[in-house]
Amino acid sequence: MTVSAAPEAALSVLPRADGSAKYSHAGYTITASVNGPIEAQRRDEHPYEAHVDVVVRPAAGVGGTRERHLESVLQSSLTQIILVKNFPRALIQIVLQIESTPGNDYVNTKLFQASLNFSIMPALFQTAVLALLSAAVPMRATATASVVAVVSQDKEKKLIVDPSAREIEAAQSVHVLAFTSHDELLLAESEGDFSVKEWDDVYETAKKICCQPESQKAGIEMVPDDDNARGPDMRQFLRSTLEEKVAADLHWK
Amino acid sequence: MPLDTSAYSLALLRVDGRRWNELRRIHAQIRTQAAADGSSYLEMGHTKVMCVVNGPSEPGPRRGGVGGTSAAGSGGGGGQSKDAEVAVSVVVAGFSSVDRKRRGKNDKRILELQSTISSALGASLHTHLFPHSTISISLHVLSLDGSLLAALINAATLACVDAGIPMTDYVAACTAGSTSTYAANDESADPLLDLNHQEEQELPGLTVATLGDSDRVAVLVCESRVQVGRLEGMLAVGVDGCKQVRGIIDRVVRDKGRRMLQEGTVEKGVGLEDMDLD
Amino acid sequence: MPREAEPSLNERQFVLQALQENLRLDSREADRYRPLEVTFGDEYGVAKVSLGKTRVLAKASAEVTVPYADRPLDGVFQIATELSPMASPSFEVNRPTETEVLLSRLLEKTVRRSGALDTESLCLVAGQKCWSVRVDVHVLSHDGNVIDASCFAVVAALRHFRKPDTSIEGGILTVYTPAEREPVPLGWLHSPFCVTWSYFGEEGEMALLDATRAEEQVRVGSCTISLNRHGEICQIAKLGGTPVEAVILLQCTAIALTKVKEFSAYLDKKLAEDIKRRDAGGRSAELTAENDR
Repeated sequence: MTVSAAPEAALSVLPRADGSAKYSHAGYTITASVNGPIEAQRRDEHPYEAHVDVVVRPAAGVGGTRERHLESVLQSSLTQIILVKNFPRALIQIVLQIESTPGNDYVNTKLFQASLNFSIMPALFQTAVLALLSAAVPMRATATASVVAVVSQDKEKKLIVDPSAREIEAAQSVHVLAFTSHDELLLAESEGDFSVKEWDDVYETAKKICCQPESQKAGIEMVPDDDNARGPDMRQFLRSTLEEKVAADLHWK
Repeated sequence: MPLDTSAYSLALLRVDGRRWNELRRIHAQIRTQAAADGSSYLEMGHTKVMCVVNGPSEPGPRRGGVGGTSAAGSGGGGGQSKDAEVAVSVVVAGFSSVDRKRRGKNDKRILELQSTISSALGASLHTHLFPHSTISISLHVLSLDGSLLAALINAATLACVDAGIPMTDYVAACTAGSTSTYAANDESADPLLDLNHQEEQELPGLTVATLGDSDRVAVLVCESRVQVGRLEGMLAVGVDGCKQVRGIIDRVVRDKGRRMLQEGTVEKGVGLEDMDLD
Repeated sequence: MPREAEPSLNERQFVLQALQENLRLDSREADRYRPLEVTFGDEYGVAKVSLGKTRVLAKASAEVTVPYADRPLDGVFQIATELSPMASPSFEVNRPTETEVLLSRLLEKTVRRSGALDTESLCLVAGQKCWSVRVDVHVLSHDGNVIDASCFAVVAALRHFRKPDTSIEGGILTVYTPAEREPVPLGWLHSPFCVTWSYFGEEGEMALLDATRAEEQVRVGSCTISLNRHGEICQIAKLGGTPVEAVILLQCTAIALTKVKEFSAYLDKKLAEDIKRRDAGGRSAELTAENDR
C-alpha cells in the first residue's frame, strides 16, 4: 500500500453539518463533522461555558476504551483553544469518523476490538481543527499536531516522524505533541520509556514541524528540505488549505 | 420440522386440515378490561393477544424514543406535535411459544412491530383531533402460532374502537402465503390464506393490512424470499382475507353493542362518554 | 437533545404543490434516482456510496471466532448500523432512534435473512472455529433515502471484501496474512438491493422513487422493496402510513425490478473496473479463475 507523505485535506465536505473536513495523512483518512453551538443536553450543560463533545468512531467495530481515551484527550485539548466562554449552556459536537487506517500486511489484526493507537491522534486532532475552522467556531488559536517515534538503531537513537505501524511496534517510545499557533505546547502524550533528553529532542523536532516561523517561509523562498526527520510543515499546510477554501468560496467576487 | 408439502398436492388440505382459502377460527371480545379506556382479546387460531388502550391523554413523562411515533411519521417531539402520538408497546410473554425465548425490551423485531402498528393505526385514527396528547396501546401476546403482526393489528383496532377514538375505518390484517418455495419456479403453486407458525417457517408469506372495505393496503410486510410473480396472487388472497377479517371484527363490535343495549348498560341515544362499564 | 428541523408550512405546501403539478424540486422524474456513485477504498471491503447529497460508507471486516452453539456449521455475519450525530445532530450516540432500528432491520432482512452471503462457507472447523464477518455502515450525510444507499453500500462492500486465506493441516488452522497469500472473496450467492417508494397525497396516489430529505419529511407513507436481479423478492416493508391501492404496490414492484437490474449491472461494472485497477501488476490469472466460479 502506498502511503502518501503529504497531507491532504478538503473542507466542508458534508452538506448538512455546520462544518466538516476530510483529512488524509500517512495512510489515515478521517472525516469530521462539527455541529454547534447547539442546545446541550441537561447532563452536559455547563452554566458558564460550552461543552465540547468529541465522538471518535472507528471504521469497523464499536468504539472501546481506547476510543474513549482518545476522545477525552482531544476533548480537553480542544476545549483549551475553542472560546468556550462565548457560548454558555451550549454544546459543540465534534464527530470524527475514521475511514481508513494504514494497513499492515504482515499481521492479521483483530478487527472487532477496533484498536487505535497513538499515531492516529495527530490526524484526529488536525481533522477536528479543520472542521472547527470550517464551522466557523471561534477559537483562541489554531493548532497543529504531530507524532514522533524514538527508535534505537545500532545503539543510536533515531527520531521518526509519522512512523508506520511496523515502526511503532519497534519503537521505544512514541510521542504526540500539539502546538497552538502561538507556539505554545498544547498537548503532550507519551508512551514507552524515554529519557528527558530524548523528550527534548522530540519536542524540538515536533515544534519544527508544527510551528515553522512565518518569516522564514517568506524570506527564504522555500528552500528544498532534504532533512528527512523534518517532515511536512503543518502550519503552512493548515494555512494553505484554508486559503484555498476561502479563495474558492469567494471566487465569484 | 419439515413441513410435508407433498400431502397438500394430494388432498389439497393443509397441515391443520384447512383448504387454501380458509381462515383459522377468529374469536374476539372487546371490553375485557374494566379499568382501561378500551380493551380487546383476540384469537386467530392459536395466536392469542390482548390489547389495552388508554387515552387520548396528556403525555406522561418521556419514555425511550422508539416506542412512540407521532402519526406524521418523522415528526418527533412526543406530545409537542399537532397530532396525537400513538405509543405502542408489545410484550411477548415468555410462555407464548414452545421454546420459551427471552425477548428483551429492546429487541429490534419488537421495536419494528411497535413502530409498524403505531404508524398503521396512526393513519386511520383521527389523531389531528387530539393535539399534544398520547394514545397508548399496549399489546400482550399470550400465545404465538403465526400471523403475529396481523393479530396485533386486529386486536389494536378492536381496542381503539372500544376506546371510542374516532377513526376512518377498521384496519384489518391477515397473512397470505404460497405453497412453492422460492427456488421452485412451478406455476402450479397455490396461494394460501392465514398461515400458522409451521407454514410461516417453511413457506414464503406476507402480512397485509387494509383499510376498511377498500383495496387500500396500509401494511405490507414480506420477510421471505419469493418470486416476484407470486406477489400478485398472494396479495390478492391477502386483501380478500382482510375483508373477511374485517367482517368478523365488525360483527364482534356490533354484537357487543347490541348486547350492551339489551342489558341496559346504555340507553339508546346516550353518548358513549357517560356509558358505564359492564 | 437537539431536534430535527421540521419543514415549515410554506415549505411543506411548496413541495406538495409542486408534486401535484408533477414537478420535483430537483426536476427529476418520479421514477428517477439521483446520480448514484460508488467508490472503493484502497483496502478491500470499503465502499463509499453517494446518492445525491446522501453519503454512506460501509466497511466489511472479518475475524476468526467460535460459532454459536446452536449453529455449529454456520459462520457469524452481522451488520452494524449506528447513526452518528454526523448525519444529523438529532441522532444520539448509544441511543437508537426509530430510523436506526428500521434501517438495521431492513438491511438485516434484505442481506442477511435472504441468504445473500453463504454463511456455511464461513465455517472453518465445525463447532469450534468460523469466520465472523461484520459490516459497519456509517451514514456520513443524510439527505434522504438512506436505506437504498446503505443497502447498496453493504452489498458493494461485501462483494469487494476479501478475507484472509486459511488452510487446515492435521487439525491445525493457519490464517495467512495478506503478504503470504492473496486474500479470497466471500461466498456470495445473490445481490439484493432496496428500492424505496415514497407516497404523497391524500390517498397515497403519487409515488416517487428516491425521495430527498425534504420530500421524506412531507410524505405520507413509504414502501421499501428488496429484490435481486433474478426477480426474487427478498423483503417488502410498507410499515404503516397512509393506505395505498394494492394495484399501485404491484406496479411499484415491477418498476423496482427494473431499477434493481440497473443497480446490479452498475455494481458488476464497478467491481470489474476495480479488479482491473488492482491488477495492474498482472497477478490476474488466479484471481479471475476464482471470480468466474
